[in-house]
Amino acid sequence: MSKVEAVKALVEAGKSKKVADAVQEALKAGDKAQDILDAMVASMGVVGDKFSSGEIFVPEMLIAAKAMSKGVEVLKPVMAGDSSSSLGTCIMGTVAGDLHDIGKNLVVMMLESAGFDMVDLGVDVPAERFVEAAKENDNVVLIACSGLLTTTMPALKEAVQTIKAAMPEMKVIVGGAPVTQEYANEIGADGYAPDAGSSAAKAKEIIGA
Amino acid sequence: MLTAKQNLQETIKGGNPERFVNQNEFLEFVYEVPMTSYCPGPGTEIVDEWGILWRWPEGQLGPFPVHDAENKVIKDITEWKKYVKVPDHYKNPDAWTDAKEHAKQIDQNEKYVTIMFFPGIFEMTHSLMGMEDALMGLYEEPEAMHELIDCYTNYLLDYAKVLVAEIEPTAIYQHDDLGSQISSFMSPDVFKEFFLPSYKKIFSFYKENGVELILHHSDSYAANLVPSMIEMGVDIWQGVMTTNNIPALIKEYGGKITFMGGIHSGEVDFPEWNEAIIKEHVDRICQECGKLYFIPNLTQGADVSSFPGVYEAVTAEIDRISKEMF
Ligand code: B12
Repeated sequence: MSKVEAVKALVEAGKSKKVADAVQEALKAGDKAQDILDAMVASMGVVGDKFSSGEIFVPEMLIAAKAMSKGVEVLKPVMAGDSSSSLGTCIMGTVAGDLHDIGKNLVVMMLESAGFDMVDLGVDVPAERFVEAAKENDNVVLIACSGLLTTTMPALKEAVQTIKAAMPEMKVIVGGAPVTQEYANEIGADGYAPDAGSSAAKAKEIIGA
Repeated sequence: MLTAKQNLQETIKGGNPERFVNQNEFLEFVYEVPMTSYCPGPGTEIVDEWGILWRWPEGQLGPFPVHDAENKVIKDITEWKKYVKVPDHYKNPDAWTDAKEHAKQIDQNEKYVTIMFFPGIFEMTHSLMGMEDALMGLYEEPEAMHELIDCYTNYLLDYAKVLVAEIEPTAIYQHDDLGSQISSFMSPDVFKEFFLPSYKKIFSFYKENGVELILHHSDSYAANLVPSMIEMGVDIWQGVMTTNNIPALIKEYGGKITFMGGIHSGEVDFPEWNEAIIKEHVDRICQECGKLYFIPNLTQGADVSSFPGVYEAVTAEIDRISKEMF
C-alpha cells in the first residue's frame, strides 16, 4: 500500500490518533500535499456515501471527520498560501429558536472535507446574522441553514428570505429532518440535501464547482 | 366490554381486541416519583442532581443541556470518575409520599401503574458530555464508556429496588431516543455491545418484581434495533415513526413486540393544526397497520402535545375509526 493509500484508509476507518503520523510519512516519502489532501477528501466522500446508504452511522462519520482534520492540521503549514484547493467560504448555522446541532455539525464536516472554508455560526442564529457573516468574511459563495424543529420552519424561511433580500446573488442551501425539497423550493432556497453524505455534492452543484 | 387493560392484552397477545388501544388509555403515569430536576418553564435554568446544566431559553419548546467546554460534566471520558457524582436523592423516604398516594388510587383493573424514566442510558451519556463526545467515545474509548454505562446501570438498579418497594409499579416507560427520523444513531452491533446488556439487566429485574409491561420510547427510526429491543424484554416500542415501515415490522415481529406510534408529532402537532389533518394521519396509519400488535399514538410520547388540543383531537379520531373498523 502506498503512503497516500494508508492515509486514505486511516481516515475512512476514523483512526484519528494515527493519521497525523501517516501524513508526515507520506510527505517524507515525497507525496505532494495536494495529493494527500485529495485522497482524504475522496475518503470522506466514501464515508458520506456509506452514511447516506445506511451502511455506517453517526459515530463512524464523526471519527472519520476528526481523523481528516488531524491530517489537515499537518498539511496546513505545508500548503499555506495555496488557496487553489478551496471552493470558497460557506457560512453555516442552525436557525433562530433551534438548538439542535448534531446534523449541522456533520454537514459542516462534510462541506469542509469537500473543500469549503467553513464559518460555523453555531445554533439559534438570527436571520440577519447570516447576512452579517457573509459580509464580514471573504469569498463567501454559499450559506447553509439547518432547522430541526417544525416550529422553527418559519425561522428557516425568514433566514432564506432575509439573505436573498440583502444579497440576491448569494446561494443558499437548507436541510434538517422536517425540511423537504418542496419546502426548500417554496421558501426560495437554491438547494436541499436529505443528509450530510449528499450535502457536499449538492453544495458543489449549487455553486457550479 | 373489555377494560382498557384487557383490550391492551388482546392487542399485544394477538387475541380479539374490541377496539384500537387509544394512545395511553391503559397507562396512568405516576409523575410524582423523585426524578432528577427539570426546568420548570421557559426562561429558567437548573443544575440537576448529576450536575448537568439545563437551560430553557425564552420562547423555545423545551430545555437543552448546556455542553460548552466549561459546563459539560464529563470533560474527558477517560477521567469520568473524577467528574461524575452519583446522586441518592431518591433514598429519602419522604420523597415518595405523593407518589405512593397517587399509586394507591389507581384502578388496576383499568390501568397500569406506570413510571416514566428519563433519561435513558444512551441519553445519560450524551447529557453528561454532549452527543459528539458520547458517540465518538464508543469507538475511541470503549473501556471508559463501558465503565460509565455500568455506573449508570447500577444507579438505575438501585433506584429500581427502592421504586419497587415504595410504589409496586406494573409498567415501566423507559425514554431513550436512539435515532434520527431516518437512521439509528449507532449500528445494531454497537447498541448490542454497549446498551443491550444493561437494559436486559434492568428490565429483567423489573419483570421479576411485579412489573408486567415494559415500554421503550424512541421517536425515531430504529427498525434495525427491534431484535435488540425484544431481547431486552421490551413489550411495546413507543414512538415508532412511519419511516420504519410499521406494517412490515408488525408482520415480522408481531407477537414478540407491539408498535405504538405512527402519528408524527411533527406533522400534526404545530400551531396551525386542525382536525382534518389529524383525521388523515389517524385513518392512514390505522388502516395500514391493522388491529393487532399496533397502538395508534402521537410519536412524541407521554399523554401530552406541544400545542393545546392536539392530543385530545387524536384521541377522538382514534375513537371514531375504532367504531368504523371494529
Ligand atoms: C438528539 C435530539 C435532541 C438533543 C440535541 C443534542 C444536540 N446537540 O443537537 C437534545 C436532547 C438536547 C434535544 C433537545 C430538544 N429537542 Co430534540 N431531538 C433529538 C433527536 C432525537 C435527534 C436529532 C438528531 O440529532 N438527529 C441526528 C442527525 C444526524 O440528523 P439530523 O439532525 O436530521 O441531520 C441530518 C439531516 O437532516 C441533514 N441536515 C441537517 N441540517 C442540514 C442543513 C443543510 C444545509 C443540509 C444540506 C442538510 C442538513 O444532514 C444531517 C446529517 O445527515 C430528534 C428526534 C428525531 N427523530 O429526529 C429530536 C427532536 C428534533 N427534538 C424535538 C424537541 C421537541 C426537542 C426539545 C424542545 C426538547 C423537548 N422538550 O422535547 C429540545 C429543543 C430545544 C430547542 N429550542 O431546540 C422534537 C421536535 C418536534 C418538532 N415539533 O419538530 C424531535 C423531533 C423529537 C420529538 N419529541 O418529536 N433534542
